[in-house]
Amino acid sequence: MNFLGFKRPDGKVGVRNHVVIIPSVACANEVCNAIALKVKGTVSIPHQHGCAQLAFDAEQTARTLIGVGKNPNVAAVLVIGLGCEVVNSSMVASKIAESGKPVKNLVIQEVGGSPKTIKEGIKIAKAMVSFAFRLKREKAKPDSLILGVECGGSDACSGLSANPALGITSDLLIKEGGTIILSETTESIGAEHILARRAINKNVREKILEIVRRTEMRALNLGLDIGKANPAPGNYAGGITTLEEKSLGCVMKGGTGKVMEVVEYSETPARKGLVLMDTPGHDAESMTGLIAGGTQIIAFTTGRGNPLGSPIAPVIKIASNSYLYSKMKDNMDINAGEIVTGNKTVQEIGESIFREVFRVANGKLTKSEIWGHREFAINRIGPSF
Amino acid sequence: MSNVIENLILCHSKDNVATARSPLGAGTLLRLTKQKTIVAREQIPFGHKVALQKIRKGGPVIKYGERIGRAIREINPGELVHVHNVAGERGRTKVKRIGHRV
Repeated sequence: MNFLGFKRPDGKVGVRNHVVIIPSVACANEVCNAIALKVKGTVSIPHQHGCAQLAFDAEQTARTLIGVGKNPNVAAVLVIGLGCEVVNSSMVASKIAESGKPVKNLVIQEVGGSPKTIKEGIKIAKAMVSFAFRLKREKAKPDSLILGVECGGSDACSGLSANPALGITSDLLIKEGGTIILSETTESIGAEHILARRAINKNVREKILEIVRRTEMRALNLGLDIGKANPAPGNYAGGITTLEEKSLGCVMKGGTGKVMEVVEYSETPARKGLVLMDTPGHDAESMTGLIAGGTQIIAFTTGRGNPLGSPIAPVIKIASNSYLYSKMKDNMDINAGEIVTGNKTVQEIGESIFREVFRVANGKLTKSEIWGHREFAINRIGPSF
Repeated sequence: MSNVIENLILCHSKDNVATARSPLGAGTLLRLTKQKTIVAREQIPFGHKVALQKIRKGGPVIKYGERIGRAIREINPGELVHVHNVAGERGRTKVKRIGHRV
């Protein structure tokens, strides 16, 4: 199935056409917000990071910001830095510019303060918006699509309806040559043997087991039970009893394909097909990693009800049960609860999610976009210094 | 693939628990096969699990054909299966069971 997308200079294809204002450090957040507020067609992505971070975190923040700028849903980028931060804004801008898209950089300490930078930024952002509006959608092949599969606010129905249905969608997209990124390593704990058995080779198999072991040990080394944080109270209330039960439901979203590759948080996959990304179960952080890895669309299952969106990618919400679907219809795009009631099969819902993915790729707005959900959160590994 | 049997969903033939498709009152007759039925011993909320057979203390609780935890006390057929009688074994400081045998 083909779709109409925005072809970028690096050959990738976007399903949206954003002009993004990126702060390289938290100190530039409000300057970015002020520009985005004044120029329609732009979006800013404020975050807490970019300075006083140890090397692994500084690198992860930089990789995430660069990845977001390079995401095919982005037409042009303005990067704003303060001037003294660890994650240097001109470095971020020049890395994004490697994709061939228009990129500009402003440094608040060099321009001379907030009002002057905002004024200058508005001028640049306006020109970028006029550039983006001249771009037209063109016919594109499904193999250029990366679909991120996510679950949040799961209940015991998630693993019976929405997640296996999304697994069907994943298999269908992979058959069309596309890529699926399955994330949330915490929610693979207890189900990693299923993924490891499907690894394409020994290296991938070992990497799967390694990211899961690493995640489990990170909590245990602190002397803490993961179960106090994940599953969340709402998961337990929804009938999920253990982390293993949640994980076994969670990994179904990726379908039944071979695991081709394991990538780090925010890293762009080199392979097509089913790819794992090492992210936490925290949905805003996980989705931020997915979009930084080049994901154009996210399909998100929920049983308790979750409104989260993304500033860069449309997020399709799939309800695992009909109680939720009717209660939070304003936030839900698809009802997989009909599987639980026996009205539809897992296959039928999987196919309807697949069709919805292409409608959204062609420009249909998701509920998360309609309500302006733009949650953005960069995962951090260690403390600030 | 899961199997819808009247008021329950059974995910896998190996499972010793099934999921309630709607809230089930105590005393509800639960049909497992044409011949076999059990009675819900207590209220089973929507989406929650009910034991299909006796699970001994320390025994595995199986859903999706996989181990989701162990019983921390004996669980009888028809009882609600949840955090009060099941403990997970992963990501927990008190349980040394890190990593999965593949």
